[in-house]
Amino acid sequence: VTPHLSHSGGTGALAQWVLVELQGEVEPRQSRELAGSLLGDLHYTCEGVPVLIVGHHILYGKVVQLEKPFAVLVKQGGVPQPSPAGPHSHYTVTALIKTKLLFKTRPKPIITHVPKKV
Amino acid sequence: AAMRSRAEVDATLQTAKLNPAELLPAVHCLSFGPQAGGGECCLLQLEPGLCAELEAGRSLVIRGEKDERAVLCSKNKTYDMKIADTSNMLLFVPGCKTPEELNADPASCNIIHSQIAGFAKNYWELRRCRPKLKKLRKLLMEDPYEGPDTRKDQTSTFSKYTTEDLLSLIQASEVEILHQLQVIDACKIEGCWRILDFDYEMKLLNHVTQLIDSESWPFSKVPLCVCLEELGSLEPREMIEHILLSYGRKYVDDAGEVFFEMREDKICRAIAQMLLQNAVKFNLSEFEEVWQQSVPEGMTTRLDQLQGLALVDKSSRPETIFLLKVEDLPEDNQERFNSLFGIREKWTEVDITPYIQDLCAEKQTVGALLTKYARSSMLNGVKVYNSRRPIS
Repeated sequence: VTPHLSHSGGTGALAQWVLVELQGEVEPRQSRELAGSLLGDLHYTCEGVPVLIVGHHILYGKVVQLEKPFAVLVKQGGVPQPSPAGPHSHYTVTALIKTKLLFKTRPKPIITHVPKKV
Repeated sequence: AAMRSRAEVDATLQTAKLNPAELLPAVHCLSFGPQAGGGECCLLQLEPGLCAELEAGRSLVIRGEKDERAVLCSKNKTYDMKIADTSNMLLFVPGCKTPEELNADPASCNIIHSQIAGFAKNYWELRRCRPKLKKLRKLLMEDPYEGPDTRKDQTSTFSKYTTEDLLSLIQASEVEILHQLQVIDACKIEGCWRILDFDYEMKLLNHVTQLIDSESWPFSKVPLCVCLEELGSLEPREMIEHILLSYGRKYVDDAGEVFFEMREDKICRAIAQMLLQNAVKFNLSEFEEVWQQSVPEGMTTRLDQLQGLALVDKSSRPETIFLLKVEDLPEDNQERFNSLFGIREKWTEVDITPYIQDLCAEKQTVGALLTKYARSSMLNGVKVYNSRRPIS
């Protein structure tokens, strides 16, 4: 098995993506399927600090330039090719990630205003 | 899912008691893309240099059959692959801008709807490793080339290997494979890589050394064209040239003629192998005498020419010598040491070095290997190494 990590576009620059690192699990609300559901709003302060609002939480993070960048590999559904080594399985390098937004601080819960009882 | 509007974003900010004045105007509304949960994406952490290779448009290849642990190869390096777990969730977001990028582009949209392409709790980690080249010799030894006269080659049903075949079967980079083919004196015959059968190789070498002797050429100046003329009727010209390339250093003189400077050490070593392979072991002094007589006149034999090929037993009376080829030993570090300590209980550093030198990783020393895999002690005032574990 000799999966090839070939560049997806062939020519042109590889896409640059960003990694968002969160603590714990990400679970969809109301146990709906993850695909298509909202995660939250990502803001940056004027100083460049990333702020992520997820559900009832505010997460403060920092922008980190990765010492070791990542390549994002996407599996290509088996492309059968005859070869002495057997069928090939292809992975494509879809993007590079050189930056991550690291949210390590404890989420601050958003306390919604509770109307006073008269 | 419906896309969030600016009004909704602002409302959330208000609820969160964040002051919009302290924030950059652009917001990323993150949602999970349609493929996000599919597990089709994974992350590969890149060692220095690999990122630049990918950006330059070069490919990386994962190699390994079902019974082998996968390695990743660039054009010239090989890496072990290992899964690293992280307790955190890693989301990969295309089109997500950093503060610098937002500030640099004042026209950037107020709302950026970003779809998370995938997520992972682990990633592939790489560690540079020695290329796994033992298999290369093993494949080529399935069918060594015995010369054009044998019927064997015409009717052979053995696999023959092209460069492409080797690239898909050997867990090493292309540059490392091609280099190793040169090291083991492989040659291409009809498009496939072959190793010469040892007896045939010695036959070819003998033709050349006899010719050198009869022509009284100095070993440093053996002319290619005369060799081809004189020996061309005995053996294929490609084979004559191949043996000269294997046992000599090619150069061109001022007149543009091709010569070879014969490699005395390599020739003596090959002849020693020829002698040693005929018995389990030899009386050392008898062997040294026969060996010196067997090499071309004018060449001098020395025991240090046999490093990694033969081992002298100084404890036996009389002293003996036997064939022990490093390429026949296991490739894995621990297995190599087990094998060596099975052959001999205690080794001096001088004796063991030729048999572990090839195990050294980039910047690793023999000393470091010995510290890790062996235990030292003193024997008759000499430092020796033995196994860390009891020999079964």
